[in-house]
Amino acid sequence: MTAKILQRAAIALLGTIAIPALAGAQEAPLTIGMSTTPTTIDPHEDSSAPNNATSRHIWSSLINRTGTSGNEPELATEWKPVDDTHWEFKLRDGVKFHDGSAFDAEDVVASLLRARDKPSQGFASYTRNISNVAAKDPMTVVVETSVPDPLLLNSVSRIRIISSDCKDASVQDFDNGKCAVGTGPYSFVSYQPGSALKLKRNDDYFAGASHWSDVTLRFLPDDGARLASLLSNEIDLIESLPADGMSRVESSDNLQIINGQSSRLVYMGMDVSRDVSPFVKATDGSALEKNPLKDEKVRRALLMSINREAIVERVMQKNGTVADQFVAEGYAGHSDAVEKVPYDPEQAKALLAEAGYPDGFSVTLHGPSGRYVKDAEVLQAVGQMFTRIGIRSQVEVLPWSMYSEKYSDGAYSIFLGSWGVNTGETTNPAVALVATRNEEKGTGRYNGGGVSDPKIDETLAKASSTLDEAARTPLLEDLSTETFNNLWLLPMHYENVVLGAKKSVTYTPRGDKYTLAYEVKPAQ
Amino acid sequence: MVTSIIRRLFQAIFVIVAMTIIVFIGVNVIGNPVDILINPDANQAERARVIAHYGLDQPIWKQYLMFLQGLLHGDFGDSFVYGRPALGLILERLPATLELAITALGIALVVGLPLGLYAGLYPKRLSSKLIMSGSILGFSLPTFWVGLMLIMVFSVELGWLPTNGRGPTMEFLGVQWSFLTGEGLRHLLLPAFNLALFKTSLILRLTRAGVQEVLPQDYIKFARAKGVRESRIIGVHVFKNLMIPVVTIIGLEFGSLIAFSVVTESIFAWPGMGKLIIDSINLLDRPVIVAYLMMMVMLFVALNFIIDICYTILDPRVRLDAKA
Repeated sequence: MTAKILQRAAIALLGTIAIPALAGAQEAPLTIGMSTTPTTIDPHEDSSAPNNATSRHIWSSLINRTGTSGNEPELATEWKPVDDTHWEFKLRDGVKFHDGSAFDAEDVVASLLRARDKPSQGFASYTRNISNVAAKDPMTVVVETSVPDPLLLNSVSRIRIISSDCKDASVQDFDNGKCAVGTGPYSFVSYQPGSALKLKRNDDYFAGASHWSDVTLRFLPDDGARLASLLSNEIDLIESLPADGMSRVESSDNLQIINGQSSRLVYMGMDVSRDVSPFVKATDGSALEKNPLKDEKVRRALLMSINREAIVERVMQKNGTVADQFVAEGYAGHSDAVEKVPYDPEQAKALLAEAGYPDGFSVTLHGPSGRYVKDAEVLQAVGQMFTRIGIRSQVEVLPWSMYSEKYSDGAYSIFLGSWGVNTGETTNPAVALVATRNEEKGTGRYNGGGVSDPKIDETLAKASSTLDEAARTPLLEDLSTETFNNLWLLPMHYENVVLGAKKSVTYTPRGDKYTLAYEVKPAQ
Repeated sequence: MVTSIIRRLFQAIFVIVAMTIIVFIGVNVIGNPVDILINPDANQAERARVIAHYGLDQPIWKQYLMFLQGLLHGDFGDSFVYGRPALGLILERLPATLELAITALGIALVVGLPLGLYAGLYPKRLSSKLIMSGSILGFSLPTFWVGLMLIMVFSVELGWLPTNGRGPTMEFLGVQWSFLTGEGLRHLLLPAFNLALFKTSLILRLTRAGVQEVLPQDYIKFARAKGVRESRIIGVHVFKNLMIPVVTIIGLEFGSLIAFSVVTESIFAWPGMGKLIIDSINLLDRPVIVAYLMMMVMLFVALNFIIDICYTILDPRVRLDAKA
């Protein structure tokens, strides 16, 4: 009782002191138009980008993931591997949930295990190696992994820490706000599924209170609706500025375009395993004796025939950056040894002739429509460029729901694929796209071309169990070199992050394409 | 009356069963929901676990039986995507769709009926001709284009109305409605008008055609000869008789307003059911698709029934139980 009275007195006292400070922090609302809709507020149900970006507003993780895939202290202030399979995390003191309850190791244990054990398995790729999580003391957590896991820090940076009171809560409990209580920069106000999430500033946020007092995330997947909201000044910032609206934004006095590079690589995959590929035929439509795509020269000719600069510039309207390997410079595993392949149709024809196809062949290209930026248009352009060097190309695009299963199971000869490198290093795309398919080990799930390169598999195995950064980096680089000097995939471009905003705000786009209100700053 | 209701119920059940079978097979043919739902980083073992969790590892007939079993317990299943009961997901969005549909229909009736009546009674006037040619625009302009134009003019250029979204809501009868707040009404206006445009033209033209058909009839001439007031002739004799086709159309159009106003809902970011069903189809979220379509079948059956009751009121010669 007395404690309570004392507490009240303290709050009253603080209140009087805080008044001058509050006068400075006036109302500053921010509304963001999101281009994708999260399926739920529950941070552990599904680890899709819209869900993770949304949950980051309310919750925080042990480690903060920066826009360029770096790790920063968040709820954990220090961490170190104790041995090959144990990591120790020291937790931050004095952190409170939005409802005032204190944060401790219990919450971390409950959250990591909840994310691991959810039946939807949304976080499986991050939690698959976590065998146990234990609280050593109220401010220290030890994570035990089943195998040495160099990506553990990335994994825990994705998992939001909820209150242990909510460890058994259903999705519904989060969506109606009951359990939407975190330690992040904003507290939950209201959520209308598919429409808007309203948030309020958490004045006690340990990394410093946000500039914005009230944040509204509006979910506007329709391009026209999103653009109109920006043009009518209802919204401060929109994701994925539609290409058709760029000129209007450019010519406006109070709006701006914010452009940045993402870590999503778009590539062309090719059937390099079968001796007869289903969609590759001779120019007269008869069957070919062997699969030309197995020849490295043919693959090089294909890439040489594609004018990627023009595609990025014209077809994608500058919404992309030409790529040569898995990750751009500055990310772990970017290799300088990857040879850049220039656009040179003459040389491409010569290479084709050298490989024994002076008259080319014919092929059907497959791709999704509406999944990636201008995917169908990009594929059309590629088809025309192939045809120019004598490879007669037909283009077939399918809705994503039909395409996704088929391309990963190797139904096509040449196909358009994409991978968001969300770990910011090269084992992540390599495991999925170019490692030999192995159900047990879980490798090569999206290796639709049937790439099987012992050198890649070996390097991957080594890199996946090396914790030492210095020893790991050259292995990561080898993965890039091996993949792209053999042209197991034809690198096309990285998608750009293009936002439209009022000139009154500034924002630096993130590689993972998340749009976080906390990182939006008022313009000077 | 009772036998009629029972007969209709049986028809509805038959349609629902047929529809669920079609959806089950259809979704299966399109692709595997798991490929869309699952995190691309997941490995095969995790994938298998998710497939088992959703029951997708069972043969399709077994999945169907499991679904029927759940249905008998009033459980439509949990959405694959949202992880929540599919029915709740739909019902949560029902008020938004209902208020939009009712407002749109209201506008269509209030504008369409009187104008149609006027154009029918005085077909030679210039104003009637203007109304009729205007109505051609109403149903020939594509909804999405008109919607975008409305936004451009009234929101972006003039700044009078909000571009999109649903306004703040107020609770009434335990449900959240947005038309009860001023800001909510402002949000409702443009999408409702956009939806109403086509329906208005339709009702207007139907009414006019009805008036012109009824006016030369003998009973109207007789009423006139008898010296019945003109207002009574129009208000009772003409109006009642032209309403039968109009009521049929209103009923069906109301159904389609609720079920299929996807375009308007997308353009105006209206959090209604139309958007939900399109998203669900794209994500192959079978429980939501099935629950939604079942509700729609029930809705259309109910609407048709209400239309039939209206017939008997409008035209006493029509009997519900009479074999159609």
